[in-house]
Amino acid sequence: MPIVNIDLAWLNRLLGKPYETAVLQESLEQIGCDVEDVVDIERSRCPQCGSLVEHPLGQDEVKACTLCGFESETPFKRVGSQQVMRLDLLADRPDLFDVGGLARALRGTLGIESGLPKYDVKPSGLTVTVDKSTTDKSSYRPYIACAVMTLPQVDETSLVAIMKLQENLHWGVGRDRKLASIGVYDLSTVSGNITYRTMDPDKDPFVPLGMPGKKMTGRQILESHPKGMAYAELLADLKRYPVLIDSKNQVLSMPPIINSEETKVKQGTTRVFIDVTGISQAAVTKSLDTLVCSLAEIGGKIETVTIKDADGKQRTTPDLTPRTKQIDVTEAKRWLGLPLDENSLSAALRKMRFDVSAKQGGAAGNTQPLAVSFPAYRTDIRHMVDLFEDVAIGFGYANIEPRLVRSMTVGTPRPEEVTSDRVRQVLVGLGFSEIMSLPLTTEDQQYERLRQQTPEHYPQVSNPKLKAYNVVRTHLMGGLFEALRENRRRPMPQRYFEIDNVTDLDAKAITGASEERRVALVEIGRESGYAAARSTVDALLRELGWKPDYAPITNPTFVDGRAATFTVSGKTVGILGEVHPEVLSNFGLTYPVALAELTLQRIF
Amino acid sequence: MPDEILLNEAALAVWQTVKERGPIELGEVAKLTGIDQAQVSAAATEASQRGFFEIEQRDREDLVKSQEADQLLAAGLPEVRAAKHLASIGGSLPMQDFIAWANGAAIAPNEVLKWGATRQWIEKAKSDRGMKIALTELGKRALENSVPDVDILILSADQSPIPFDALDLTDEARQRIRGLLAKRPELAKFKARTERTLSLTESGAKAFQSVRKVIERNSLTPEDLESGAWREIKLRPYDVKLAAKDVYPAKVHPLRKIIEQTRRAFLEMGFAEVVSPMVESAFWNFDALFQPQDHPAREMQDTFYMRHPATAELPPANVTDPVRLTHENGWETGSEGWGYTWSPERSKQVVLRTHTTAATIRALAANPNPPGKFFCVGWTYRNETISFKHLPVFHQVDGIIIDEEANLASLMGTLQEFYSKMGFGRVKFKPAFYPYTEPSVDVVVYMESRGKWIEMGGAGIFRPEVTLPLGCKFPVLAWGLGIERLAMIRFGVSDIRELYGTSLNELEKVPLCR
Repeated sequence: MPIVNIDLAWLNRLLGKPYETAVLQESLEQIGCDVEDVVDIERSRCPQCGSLVEHPLGQDEVKACTLCGFESETPFKRVGSQQVMRLDLLADRPDLFDVGGLARALRGTLGIESGLPKYDVKPSGLTVTVDKSTTDKSSYRPYIACAVMTLPQVDETSLVAIMKLQENLHWGVGRDRKLASIGVYDLSTVSGNITYRTMDPDKDPFVPLGMPGKKMTGRQILESHPKGMAYAELLADLKRYPVLIDSKNQVLSMPPIINSEETKVKQGTTRVFIDVTGISQAAVTKSLDTLVCSLAEIGGKIETVTIKDADGKQRTTPDLTPRTKQIDVTEAKRWLGLPLDENSLSAALRKMRFDVSAKQGGAAGNTQPLAVSFPAYRTDIRHMVDLFEDVAIGFGYANIEPRLVRSMTVGTPRPEEVTSDRVRQVLVGLGFSEIMSLPLTTEDQQYERLRQQTPEHYPQVSNPKLKAYNVVRTHLMGGLFEALRENRRRPMPQRYFEIDNVTDLDAKAITGASEERRVALVEIGRESGYAAARSTVDALLRELGWKPDYAPITNPTFVDGRAATFTVSGKTVGILGEVHPEVLSNFGLTYPVALAELTLQRIF
Repeated sequence: MPDEILLNEAALAVWQTVKERGPIELGEVAKLTGIDQAQVSAAATEASQRGFFEIEQRDREDLVKSQEADQLLAAGLPEVRAAKHLASIGGSLPMQDFIAWANGAAIAPNEVLKWGATRQWIEKAKSDRGMKIALTELGKRALENSVPDVDILILSADQSPIPFDALDLTDEARQRIRGLLAKRPELAKFKARTERTLSLTESGAKAFQSVRKVIERNSLTPEDLESGAWREIKLRPYDVKLAAKDVYPAKVHPLRKIIEQTRRAFLEMGFAEVVSPMVESAFWNFDALFQPQDHPAREMQDTFYMRHPATAELPPANVTDPVRLTHENGWETGSEGWGYTWSPERSKQVVLRTHTTAATIRALAANPNPPGKFFCVGWTYRNETISFKHLPVFHQVDGIIIDEEANLASLMGTLQEFYSKMGFGRVKFKPAFYPYTEPSVDVVVYMESRGKWIEMGGAGIFRPEVTLPLGCKFPVLAWGLGIERLAMIRFGVSDIRELYGTSLNELEKVPLCR
């Protein structure tokens, strides 16, 4: 999970007075934010785009720009350090990704402010026209939302903060730019109104960020620009690439890859244009709403943009009208088990920066549902229970008195566990040590090394990261032979067993695979032959109260004439015998091995 | 009657010798009895500790001749040969004649002069015809064997080492010998030792009447025990503080203990154990938990999809329909749903279950009415490579409570109880965010051994989008825990792969109490 560095001095400025770090830490923990630590972090300047780059923790130098992707042979120039709080990002709460959003939440938990944050929005007069080609299958990126913001003059620190927030929203909401990606531009470099359309990958070159003076086509960017190469996959299936251009045909950006150099935000920028494009309406809206509200917290003024969609309809973004949802106090009390009434519930929600209004006309003492207004950026609220969570957090997890349910239920173990436990007792008593090995294995381990024919079909994984590990084991012998191999230099004899479930293909089983509980055991040593396996199996079955009948079999894993299957009440239960010397040699073993495997219970 | 004194054969021989010959030197006893000196010493020390022997200790000095001594003396020391020659020719020689003689006899003249002077046997003197070499009075007497001297001592000694301080010598002679040997260590050296003289005390003499012989051995044979011979046998005492050979018992696997402890905790709290297939349908693994079909956790890079079997049968429509509708529009759950078209095909895909919640959710679907408590421990799979941090397979435990009193407060109470059974007495709760619970809780436990709080597992109340489609109208408490993480913390292991190592060296070292 990414970690975000929050400038402590800035956070305290936004809170109106300096707080002890411990107080902030505790307050953040109450709302579910984990503070990793508080450290001084070094920053260097990118010689290409001029932005500040934070050093990763413990790194003395940086040679690559996180913003424009520029990479240098020599380290960037250091510009000093600042004290930061390192926070684990909460994927579900992008409104807590930056200093502005955190300050807003902390003002609630610290009791500085409560209720719904208010954002004044006025029209910017800017229009974005959407071309129909953005909804075509071969150039699909159909959703767009935009805003304009007037910022207190952008300085180095706020520039880094804006870029970081953008990056983290890409991660947390945009699913690494796939669902939605954000562009921020210096509006003073943009002429007139803007068009969102698509372009030929090999025409209309522009200068991408981080490559001053170098015009590149879309395809060239994907092939040779660092950011282009990193995200090329996102446009791999498209025949035309999405692009934002102004009235003078100047390219603003080629989403979701890169902005143009000319329109980049720099120190001294005061007015920015923001676009979010994507393939998910929800992710696009959420990204924009979260971004503008967070920037408003650090002094930005939000302005709307008129979007003329391809179907001719017009809309205005962002739409920050608070959403509302009803909350039922009785239901909240039941769900949370807390001593709540309308007042305490409302107080808890206001602390979480929501507004609560009582329904008019309800009789006193009656638990009418209350209407809760919540900010647009809290898109995680989809159900009344989501509000319950905020009530609980506002109430304080630490203030909740734990208790137990009173109903009587009976603890019941699974039957195969009871049997397994008995087997374990017997085998440990006979001097067998338990091993545990992974249930994913390879064809080689499962079949070939045991001289077994690899069947045409077996429980097989289609997409393992470790290519060879694509077999879900159908027996337990592989792990035991690994144990023997591992311990082959130790004194003999040795005895091991493993108890676990194995699967096999079975069209009649509920998911197409059967599953059963088995035990397998091995003994290695001078005297470890069929007789040894037989003695152990006899002892085990005697203790389980099972009466076996043995019958000879031929099985390539075992020596001919020294292997048997056994049945209990007419059902085949297992196999035992003396292991074939070639199998021993396959595992580098130089002593005879007695082996048995039996099914304790069929499960699925 | 005094107590019987039990002595082994050796000790008895020592007692007898000391009684007959005492006071007697310990080495002498060893020689007479043929018993090893250390054994004699042990018997004497024991007897003395019990007051039966008196051991008189005296510091002694032995003369130990060197290995080459006999050879050197047989060849004749230069000054001895010179003295003999001088005596044979009348007592003196002019220097040049002496040198001529010495060269002829292959003796270094200066050796003769050096040792002759040291021993005061030979001296240089002036004569009318220049320097001469002459035998002194002492030299003459030495040749007559009337002066005790070192070479004589050595030659005449019939034993080595020679008990120097026991010899009948004048102080002057002793001085001479010391002085000489200080310069001639190649001949012999002095060695200090403690002489111990043993004698029977009065109570020892009395005790001798009740001495009885026992046979001392290291172990008894079945024959000894059967015949009663053990009565005559004394087992040698051992040094009980010495280390013994290491042995290790056969054991259950360390991870198994953690799993068993977890199961016991749930069983003691009234939970029924449930299972679900490891090879599972996406429906039960994801859809039933309201995880949208485009959720990143469902992607190929995170989840193992099966090639064989490739598709599973879906449950009947009365089970799948509410789930489908909840995904699409929220159904009757009061939710907005995810707003997409649910695909039954994606739901039929077969995965290796990514969590044991697949088991508890199946249990919930089968038992939607309160009260109910269910848990499952089992393998779960994530499409990972193998590293110190990750394995593609690991164990999880999941538990749920379906109850009219299920709520956040009873979730916390249950977790507190559960974690206390798992060995963590101090528990804190923090808000967390999990996709299918609301509210969600992270359990933070205090680890005494490390003196710090660590995150242990997640918990929450299932969202209505999860429970209502399965026919459950009550809040359902749910929590889970990674077994390997717990084991790593418990065993102080920082590499997860170590937990599945099959090296017996490592396995047998983990004590059962851990």
